[in-house]
Amino acid sequence: MSHSKRKKIRLLAVEIVMILVALIYIYPVYLMFMNSVKPFGEVVADVIKLPGKIEWQNYVDVMDKMNYQKLFLNNIVITSIGIIGIVIFSSSTAYLLDRRRTKYTKFVHLAIITPMLIPFQTIMITLLKVMSVVNLNGSTWGLGIQYWGFGIPMATFIYYNFMQTIPKEIDESATIDGASTFRTFVSVIFPLLKSVTATVIVLDVMWIWNDFLLPLLMVNNSKNTQTLVLSAYTFVGQFNTQWHYAMTSMVLAVLPSILLFILLQKYIVEGVVAGAVKG
Amino acid sequence: MKLGKQKKMALETFLYTLPALLLVALVIYIPFVLSGFYSFTKWNGIAKEPELIGFGNFVKLFSGDKDFVQSLLFTGKYTLFFMIIANVLALELAVILTKKIKTANLLRGFFFIPYIMSMTIVGFIWKFIFSQGFAKLYEMSQLEVLNLSWLGNPDLAFYSIVFVGVWQSVGFYIVLYIAGLQAVPQDVQEAAIVDGANGVQKFFRVILPLLAPSITTCIFMSLTNSLKVFDIILALTKGGPGASTYSVTLNIYREAFQNNNYGYGAAKSLVFFLIILVLTQLVLRGFKSREVEL
Repeated sequence: MSHSKRKKIRLLAVEIVMILVALIYIYPVYLMFMNSVKPFGEVVADVIKLPGKIEWQNYVDVMDKMNYQKLFLNNIVITSIGIIGIVIFSSSTAYLLDRRRTKYTKFVHLAIITPMLIPFQTIMITLLKVMSVVNLNGSTWGLGIQYWGFGIPMATFIYYNFMQTIPKEIDESATIDGASTFRTFVSVIFPLLKSVTATVIVLDVMWIWNDFLLPLLMVNNSKNTQTLVLSAYTFVGQFNTQWHYAMTSMVLAVLPSILLFILLQKYIVEGVVAGAVKG
Repeated sequence: MKLGKQKKMALETFLYTLPALLLVALVIYIPFVLSGFYSFTKWNGIAKEPELIGFGNFVKLFSGDKDFVQSLLFTGKYTLFFMIIANVLALELAVILTKKIKTANLLRGFFFIPYIMSMTIVGFIWKFIFSQGFAKLYEMSQLEVLNLSWLGNPDLAFYSIVFVGVWQSVGFYIVLYIAGLQAVPQDVQEAAIVDGANGVQKFFRVILPLLAPSITTCIFMSLTNSLKVFDIILALTKGGPGASTYSVTLNIYREAFQNNNYGYGAAKSLVFFLIILVLTQLVLRGFKSREVEL
């Protein structure tokens, strides 16, 4: 009794310490939110004090200066084009690569997953040139398409590993019933891939939404094509002494990810773990 | 008839895998091959024809490009610090968070939040804290540590970057270690205690060896991510003060897009690729050979 009681008390102490550690850990994020609703004078005078008066005007000003709606739309366009292509091409390719094992599929498999080893910085210089030749730079849809090529290696790898756990009998029986490959894939196989598809979506949304270097190279020339993060980057550069505006623009850039995380925490954490372990 | 069917299947396989292959080739293989070509040229990005100069760029690189060597040293040191600190810290926190704590999921979420934010923004948040936040805290506490120039002094700037890098991504490694720890069977742990192992022995002799696959994954991820460090530095110090916090990636970026030395930048980027390739293979092999099967 006393032993288990002591254990309980110790556990409680550990828990209290951990709560404190976690609160200190997240304190900078809290500071960013809090200072984003303070008037300029209060940010300069004392960053730690709570706002005397909540200044929503910061948000009105910054959303106007950044052209937030347009940026948000750009992010949505780039991310959705990217995700849709990655999911379609990777899942169907992985399906054929696993089910039709020949010398050719072995070669294709290797050719598709090897680029995971090539760091982006090795190709970024010439990528810019190639993309202007094929006219994929300077536009949100072009950037979305580029993410297909960059996302396919990892996604195909994850799909391919999962595909091996789906019994062949399932699609063979569909084929015997006369269904075409396309039909079998769409109505039998793809629904079975739901959990991996969720993983791929989680990983790639986080990556594309927050990506910096590729958008910096491809869509930074015009305000009409910029992404949220890029715009916050230039904005903070321009207003680097006007911290209240800088904070607000940063909040606006990260708020969508944080809201999404709060809503889908379980899936996001599971997806990230699955992606790292399988990939 | 049979041959016809086989042919049809082969054609189908070809057609289904073609788009993926072409897309990967377009954004990765073609630029990669071109990088190989440009590394043997001198080209400023504007001139119509790059000028072939043989191994000139590589000779220049290996006969002592001070900035590049310094960026290599910086990146190496950063990688070492980041890998050790991030992994030790994440493992420790993961062990605590897998105890029977009621708020464990909520706390895990707190540690994970910086990871879902863009690294550029994370850099800016900390830039704000290092300047405005520390100034105020110093005023309140008079602690000298808070009065140091954490981004303005070359030595301190290094540690600040490591600190922010770890802060941003430790949550990611925590969730990987938690998943690994949860896969260690309960009965093995109980057997160790029955056999008289204390908490420390249980951790180092039983849990840690069984956790080897997770450790390999985390080491590999932390290695490749820290070698490519870029966004955080750009937001925090832009490579300064002086050029003390230039990473290899930042050095390549500047060589190509600011100094307009595309050929030389391409040569650097290829050398960087080889370094990453060799390092990751070595580390991966070293850790894989230590894994035990249950």
